[in-house]
Amino acid sequence: MEKTTELKFTSPTFYNRLKGMLGVDFYRLFHTPLFYIFLCIAAIIPAMILGMTNIENAQGVVHPLYDNTWQVIASESALYVVNNIAEYANMNMVFIFGGIMVSIFIGHDYKSGYVKQLFTTHPKKQDYMMSKSIICAFAMACMCITYLMGSVLAGLFVGASFSVNFGSLVCAIISKIIMSLGWASLYVFLNVIFRKYFAISIASSFFFGTGILIIGVAAIVGNSSILNIFLYGSSVFASLSSNFLTILNCLLVSICWAGIYNIVGTHILNKSDVY
Amino acid sequence: MNAIEITNLTKNYGEKQALAGLNMTVPCGAIYGFIGENGSGKSTTEKIICGLIHPTSGQVKLFDKDYNDIDIRASVGVLIEAPGCFPNLSVWNNLIIQATNLSIENKEDAVRNVLKLVRMEGAASNKFKNCSLGMKQRIGIAMALLGNPKLLILDEPINGLDADGMRIMREILTDITKNNCTVLISSHILGELEKIATHYGIIRNGKMIVEMTAEELDKSCPTFIAFKTKDNKLTKEILLKKYSKVLEDEQKEYLRVYDTSTPEDIVLYLYKNNIIVSELLTDKIGLEEYYINLMQNKGGK
Repeated sequence: MEKTTELKFTSPTFYNRLKGMLGVDFYRLFHTPLFYIFLCIAAIIPAMILGMTNIENAQGVVHPLYDNTWQVIASESALYVVNNIAEYANMNMVFIFGGIMVSIFIGHDYKSGYVKQLFTTHPKKQDYMMSKSIICAFAMACMCITYLMGSVLAGLFVGASFSVNFGSLVCAIISKIIMSLGWASLYVFLNVIFRKYFAISIASSFFFGTGILIIGVAAIVGNSSILNIFLYGSSVFASLSSNFLTILNCLLVSICWAGIYNIVGTHILNKSDVY
Repeated sequence: MNAIEITNLTKNYGEKQALAGLNMTVPCGAIYGFIGENGSGKSTTEKIICGLIHPTSGQVKLFDKDYNDIDIRASVGVLIEAPGCFPNLSVWNNLIIQATNLSIENKEDAVRNVLKLVRMEGAASNKFKNCSLGMKQRIGIAMALLGNPKLLILDEPINGLDADGMRIMREILTDITKNNCTVLISSHILGELEKIATHYGIIRNGKMIVEMTAEELDKSCPTFIAFKTKDNKLTKEILLKKYSKVLEDEQKEYLRVYDTSTPEDIVLYLYKNNIIVSELLTDKIGLEEYYINLMQNKGGK
């Protein structure tokens, strides 16, 4: 049965491999209702916080949680120690439910069995880690934008103040969007570790997304800028008193953690059975 | 050149040994029927070839290169267990995704071609989850065929198919090999496999016990003369006085004489013993019987 025809194998370049994987992920992202549902959630949450949340002060007087619209985007200053919900509930919440979205998105790869096709033709696991990190960062960045839009509309609707240092606000928003890459890489990494256990993937994404570990450390070390080396720390650092250095800090931290999670995730995939 | 060459492959899952020094050779252009009991190590072998799981030890070569070589693996199509499709997407979208994954330039044309090949042109807009089992299997084949793979690995592709589905699948597989594609196919439906396979490998307890070509199988399968009488039990007793191997078939309807004698000899012998033969035919044992005999000889179930 030996055939004499010469077999020629094409050698896919890194660019082509990544292009193929990103193409699949973008196609899937835009064709899944999940993405649009989470975009809506990202827009509705700040609207609900601004319009419906009240807080009682020490004198027992009830007043709105935020009197300024931009407080729902970022805190006034970098507060790692959380004293009340108003210091916590801002655009960083996108990274919590963004984590759930990433878990569902990656979970579908395994649940549907698509990884069989993917890893058979793409033996380089680094491509997978990179592609997923980029696509999930993109999705989270989109959620940040709809969160911003929801906040502005809700602010207009409830008549909250819009006074702010515009430069700092822009720096804070850009910094938080940049942090999407680091967070997305963390969630992709968690989903690679717990790929066989969907519920644990979601739970772990939620757990790390809340920043509870850093909040716990902050309760011990106080509002120390050393916490900026972590994803949650840098996300908090992007406050309404941000400047260009904040963007630089977030860029560095986000890329570094993305790199670390991609390298470790690739190593784990290379050493373990993927399906 | 061999499409697949496996040497001394082992795979342990904790204490359990799934593969125990498997050796396997699949020549280029072959349709290789990979046969074995449940849990014998077929799927494990296929998953290792696809790079989905890591072997504990041993060597796997595809087209004389390491199985993890990216050039080679870009030319492997796979259908393991069920097709890896997103249930809420249409058949068309699922195939487009795979075409994108493979960086195929003219995706729409490529998808149209494979849909035509698997006779699924009319079902492209159906959601994958609404397709029947037979359609899903064909979609799986279509997915595996995108990008003109040189090696196709199919795990139980004909399970659950009706007679027409099996016929279509048989035609598809025969068409594929015309394009110099090698097919590794595992199945428990040996009668169907026998119609298409050019090579066979029988695996048991993680070891290859027999590898042979279809011609070698044909030579190994003994011919027999089968016939029906009014009292098969009595007939068997009489025949055993002259012939060494006389057996009843599975349905206990026919008696079979495995010998070199002619049908005329048997009919005459029985006639002399006052037994009338009502039906008579000459046949060969097939792959299924060969496999069962082999398993029984090796102490299998």
